[in-house]
Amino acid sequence: MARIQDIAAFNAARETGLEKLMPTVPRITVGMGTCGRGNGAEGLYHAFAAGIDRSGIDVVLAAVGCFGSCYCEPIVSVRLPNHPLVMLRKVGANDAGRILQDLATGNITPELVFCRIEEWDHITGHLRYGNGYPEVPLWSEVPFFKGQRKLVLRNCGFINPDDIEEYFGIGGYQALYKVLIDGRPETVIEQLKASKLRGRGGAGYLTGNKWEFMAKAKADSKYVICNADEGDPGAYMNRNEIESDPHSLLEGMIIGGYVTGATEGIIYIRAEYPLAVRKLRRAIDQAREYGMLGENIFGRGFNFNISIVEGAGAFVCGEETALIASLEGHAGRPRPRPPFPAQKGLAGKPTNINNVETWYNVAPIVTRGATWFTEIGSAKSSGTKVISLVGKVQNTGLVEMPLGTPLKTYIYDVGGGGVDGRQVKSVQTGGPSGGCIPQDMFETPVDYESLAQLGSIMGSGGMVVMDEDNCMVDVARYFIEFTHSESCGKCVPCRVGLNKSLRILNRMTEGAATPHHIELLDDLSRYIRECSLCGLGQSAPNPVLTTLRHFKNEFEDHIVARRCQAGVCEELALSPCENSCPLHMDIPRYLQLYKEGRHDDAFMAVIMDNPMPSTTGRVCQHPCESRCRRKTLDEPVNMREVHRFIGDTMLMSDRFDEVAARVVARKLEPTGRKIAIVGAGPAGLSAAFYLSILGHEVSVYDDKSEPGGMLAFALPEYRLPKSALRREIELIERVGVKFILNTRVGADVSLNELDDRFDAIFLSFGTWKEGAPLREPGTDLKGVYPALHFLSAVARGEIVELGRRVAVIGGGNAAIDSARTAIRRGAEATVIYRRERKDMPAIAEETHAAKEEGAKFNFLATPHRIIGDDQGRVKAIEVAKTRLGEFDASGRRKPVPTGEIQRIDCDSVIFAIGESVDVELAQSAGIKLSRSGTIEVNRYTLASSRAKFYAGGDVVTGASNVSGAMSYGKLAARSIDRQLMESDRWKGAMPDFQFDMTPPESQSESRRHRGRELDASLRAKSEDEVVAMLSHDETLDECERCLRCDLTVANAT
Amino acid sequence: MSQKKISIRIDGALVDAREGQTILQAAREGGKTIPTLCDLDGITPVGGCRICMVEVEGIDRALPACTSPVQEGMSVKTTTPRLTQHRRLTVELLLVERNHICAVCVSNGHCELQTMATNLGVSTVRLAYNFPKLETDLSHPKYVLDHNRCILCTRCVRVCAELEGAHVWNLFSRGINTRLTADLNGKWGDSKGCTGCGKCVQACPTGALSEKGRAVEEMVKQNERISALAQRRGAEA
Amino acid sequence: MKKLKVATVWLDGCSGCHMSLLDMDAAVISLASKIELVYGPLVDAQDFPEGVDVTLVEGAVSSQDDLNKIQKIRQRTAILVSMGDCAVTGNVPAMRNGIPVQRLLQRVYVEGAIEGKGVPTDGVPALLKQARPVREFVKVDLCLPGCPPPAKTISGVIAAVLDGRKPDTNLTVKFG
Repeated sequence: MARIQDIAAFNAARETGLEKLMPTVPRITVGMGTCGRGNGAEGLYHAFAAGIDRSGIDVVLAAVGCFGSCYCEPIVSVRLPNHPLVMLRKVGANDAGRILQDLATGNITPELVFCRIEEWDHITGHLRYGNGYPEVPLWSEVPFFKGQRKLVLRNCGFINPDDIEEYFGIGGYQALYKVLIDGRPETVIEQLKASKLRGRGGAGYLTGNKWEFMAKAKADSKYVICNADEGDPGAYMNRNEIESDPHSLLEGMIIGGYVTGATEGIIYIRAEYPLAVRKLRRAIDQAREYGMLGENIFGRGFNFNISIVEGAGAFVCGEETALIASLEGHAGRPRPRPPFPAQKGLAGKPTNINNVETWYNVAPIVTRGATWFTEIGSAKSSGTKVISLVGKVQNTGLVEMPLGTPLKTYIYDVGGGGVDGRQVKSVQTGGPSGGCIPQDMFETPVDYESLAQLGSIMGSGGMVVMDEDNCMVDVARYFIEFTHSESCGKCVPCRVGLNKSLRILNRMTEGAATPHHIELLDDLSRYIRECSLCGLGQSAPNPVLTTLRHFKNEFEDHIVARRCQAGVCEELALSPCENSCPLHMDIPRYLQLYKEGRHDDAFMAVIMDNPMPSTTGRVCQHPCESRCRRKTLDEPVNMREVHRFIGDTMLMSDRFDEVAARVVARKLEPTGRKIAIVGAGPAGLSAAFYLSILGHEVSVYDDKSEPGGMLAFALPEYRLPKSALRREIELIERVGVKFILNTRVGADVSLNELDDRFDAIFLSFGTWKEGAPLREPGTDLKGVYPALHFLSAVARGEIVELGRRVAVIGGGNAAIDSARTAIRRGAEATVIYRRERKDMPAIAEETHAAKEEGAKFNFLATPHRIIGDDQGRVKAIEVAKTRLGEFDASGRRKPVPTGEIQRIDCDSVIFAIGESVDVELAQSAGIKLSRSGTIEVNRYTLASSRAKFYAGGDVVTGASNVSGAMSYGKLAARSIDRQLMESDRWKGAMPDFQFDMTPPESQSESRRHRGRELDASLRAKSEDEVVAMLSHDETLDECERCLRCDLTVANAT
Repeated sequence: MSQKKISIRIDGALVDAREGQTILQAAREGGKTIPTLCDLDGITPVGGCRICMVEVEGIDRALPACTSPVQEGMSVKTTTPRLTQHRRLTVELLLVERNHICAVCVSNGHCELQTMATNLGVSTVRLAYNFPKLETDLSHPKYVLDHNRCILCTRCVRVCAELEGAHVWNLFSRGINTRLTADLNGKWGDSKGCTGCGKCVQACPTGALSEKGRAVEEMVKQNERISALAQRRGAEA
Repeated sequence: MKKLKVATVWLDGCSGCHMSLLDMDAAVISLASKIELVYGPLVDAQDFPEGVDVTLVEGAVSSQDDLNKIQKIRQRTAILVSMGDCAVTGNVPAMRNGIPVQRLLQRVYVEGAIEGKGVPTDGVPALLKQARPVREFVKVDLCLPGCPPPAKTISGVIAAVLDGRKPDTNLTVKFG
């Protein structure tokens, strides 16, 4: 090919390219970027080639770059002449034959269809493929692409990066042609300045200004450099851009070279990107061959060449002065600025360095103009930014959106939210120099200033999503470990400061840190940020500073409670199940003990971890299951049913006296200390048990006629038989706890009196107060019941007038319990909930059981008004229908009224929302409350604002669940004991068992066992327990299914 | 160098300076003291130790005086509580990085790091000591390189390159593992390029480079002579 | 007037700091009437007493015994002073830190011994992996670096406490 010197030759090349892109025969392309190849695209390509050879059909096959949707690689596009381009997803080599067959008959393969593209704006050109296939979604309708604006990625995935003619075909090098023909470099600089394009490498400096400095600098030689030293963990947009569309980079650089008066261009690219290097070399060769590089480009007397330098992969060489040092053959160490590279750069000559993505924006701005560009993005940050969205989201890949798009759009809309329904906790932007932004700040627009305000940066555009399985202390540690090992060592703050930061963070993750380390780390980080020589050191503390700011709780958990909630830090978590159990039961221990046939030991292990296994064995929300590693094989171990079995078989058997005596024998010597507990619910009962075991004298006050609180009065018999609860309470009494019933603290005895008579007081009186929803219009009618009143009246055996149809408002366990209890009273129940089923806080199994028993559900509805008849009885309820709008602070979509009102005829309404704490009692005793109207306590000691007074359970958290409340009782007992006895006696009071610590040799093949359920038709008419206990054999199976992930390498050796 | 005169304020006092000078140079000529460690007057500054950080009015971030050029009307503060805090932390970090056992050091009593700690009132460090295991290079017939005392200021690297023209010294590896090295990670005694002039030893602020045979407290450095030489060379050039 | 209870402790150090303490010449006379030396190498007391006002610690924490001692001392002392470089920085005792303990003992007690070769085990406290400054184990209220710190500095601290002043933490002191 001769060098193109005139418009005729240029147009001819363009025509050739267009014919290749839209041939008169079918064209198949395979996405063969690194991501595609990693997923088998090479094999796929060869399968197509072989298939075409074999069948002899007339098809054009091309290897193209990456279309950005990494989560469904390999991606193939097929197009029949005059038809839309159709993208196929997750195509395997086996699919090639079928696709070719279908294509030969003029069809596309429906199972693999991803989306269709009827026309495409390449910015420098526009392709119309054709219309059709209405059943296939348009690319812009696919959630991952919705709202994306492909400016930088305009050609990626469409053209063959190895073929310059295809680049000509979509209007490539026309911007260069225009600039050279115009011959007015200053207008291009003006255009760039007006476009407000900012450097896409991270710092966000105005590119136009930078070019202007360089253009004005006088020297015999000047350089433009492309910084392709992309080294952030989690960022790979530059690699993909180069692999998919190398000529756009060259065109940007040639224009830049001409405009700034440079004599040479250099691409500094990391050697770890071999494919990108190959594509670039070929592109440079072709550009030279076609006359886009070299002497006298387009016959306009402009000479320019581009060379490639492969960097050895030091992160710091992304810093421009270090990059220059590296190019000059020195070690990659930055030097102070000024002088800036535009004054004194490579070899002391004026030098302009831009990031890969910045160069990609040049041709579009030249083609479409500054105004067009500024209309995209936000006021201060115009244009788009390519983000690599990775981590704990469903859809990962390269996402190009206008700047200013909020974080939540990336994470929830494009990314599809958390994986496996897990909650997204945070997002880390900007790579190791960026910061972690918490979930409640996902409204933040992604632009330079907004991210900086939160202590993070745009950086090169990495976005790592993290969920509850990520430990933020470990995340901070990880990034500091990275920057620490990439520090060049020149300046003290970065060299030694990061080393000390890392050591402190290591101590934290090992549980060996003290609270003063938080302060020290904060001081150190601020110092490193301010005093370091270059950008690496100045931004390296960002991950620490932002996690300290937004996730301080997690740091305190590691240091004070010595617990890593995410279960990442090995020393601070035994196993995922133990760690997620509110009571931190040593689950692998009791599973193993039972497996070894040591049933008595297993019972002792259970009961000392959790004094009410028969209760939690039935009603716990079992967060342990969501983290069970067995889930990766089939289903989680049924830990709840196992500990229920272990509890029931001892507590409910004739061995009760014997096992109770053995528990009592564990009591420590009497201490003579007296402790009062207010409220005999789950929190109070567990505190009472442990305090008594620790040798204290415990009195539990309750205004009801029997102990148990919500367990006795709000949980229906079919879920928790009273006989089981009574046995557990009897055990607690045998340990020495005294119950003072029918006594209302605040009325019959004051808190001040308790203060006089006891050494410590634990407040655990729950959330029995019926709250705000009663203010709904119409709630003073007959037939309106708060759920707790309804359930406890039923539990007491009272008769409640429900009528035939009951409407239950709410989505928690109390709502489901109410509905199922109403069904057992012969009523029809409809549960009204403002969100969708998946958002319900109730245990999923319970909701499912309610449905089986005939409960109806009206989702996306909120009570509007209750209508009464002339006798003042409920006649109907009107609900306002809602739809799910924006994401709120909890990561769920907020229900917003649609305006539609629905009428549901009913005879009674049960409100299962808005229970709250009786705050007057606490207030009258001078105990400080939180803004949400619960008692404020120290998270680790549960001490309230008043000396000697502790609080836990629902009075602290608001209405929650049984195991959660019990965990507070357990913690309170330990904390009160430590305070009274001035030492931590807990470990000494707990049993210690030796058991097998070798990993199981083989995995049990057994499937998960479930407790058999009573038939739905039978149970709707009965108070009998719904879920039956496992058998002994089934229990043993479950124990054997445990993978023993509590065993660490240290244990095994 | 341009001779255009400008004036700046240092701690409130007007100081004459010339365009192209650094804040540190202007301060020295104006009789003002800014503490330094890696700087050696007359040798190219590198801005590595960050002791000379100063505050400049209108700029949030503190700037290194040794590499920041003066600008007309700039107002510099050399000592503020924030700067003192930074400097103390810098000294603390240097003290914990390697094994500075002053009591048995040849430079005890004549060490710039030790003096800096005293001047800044550093009586202890808040950070844990690293206690790294480091070598001592005794291969040179006349001199000793003790990595335990090295603060990586690179004065030796620069005087060797800029004054002696021998380019014996360089830095090896990176980050916390950075080491001073003779030639390409060789022994000092094996260096063909080393002229044995001893300029590096005299320029070294601590006991990292010393003359053989010196006992504790005996190694007194003459870095002002190195500076004088450097300035003379600069003037000649 | 109640006398100030002062204790001195000798961990891993050379006793030079105690020598410096004794070196305060005439100042010792005026101090003697105001303080009571309740524990240390200079007095005959078996167990570290409760309720000590000031404890001067010489030496690095080098053995398990040092560690146990310093933790107990911290609990029973109001003002804990690290006296001298070994207590403040680790100093000479810390020069062994780059060498594994077993290797160290082997070198000294076996390779280096002329007679009676063998690592002693009975009645000798186990060495910690490294000798480290006191501050890395317990909270220290004041540090007096120096090898040894001058007598005047030490007496100045005691005088300050006697006067009810907070000892100056920005003393002009020098390591080494």
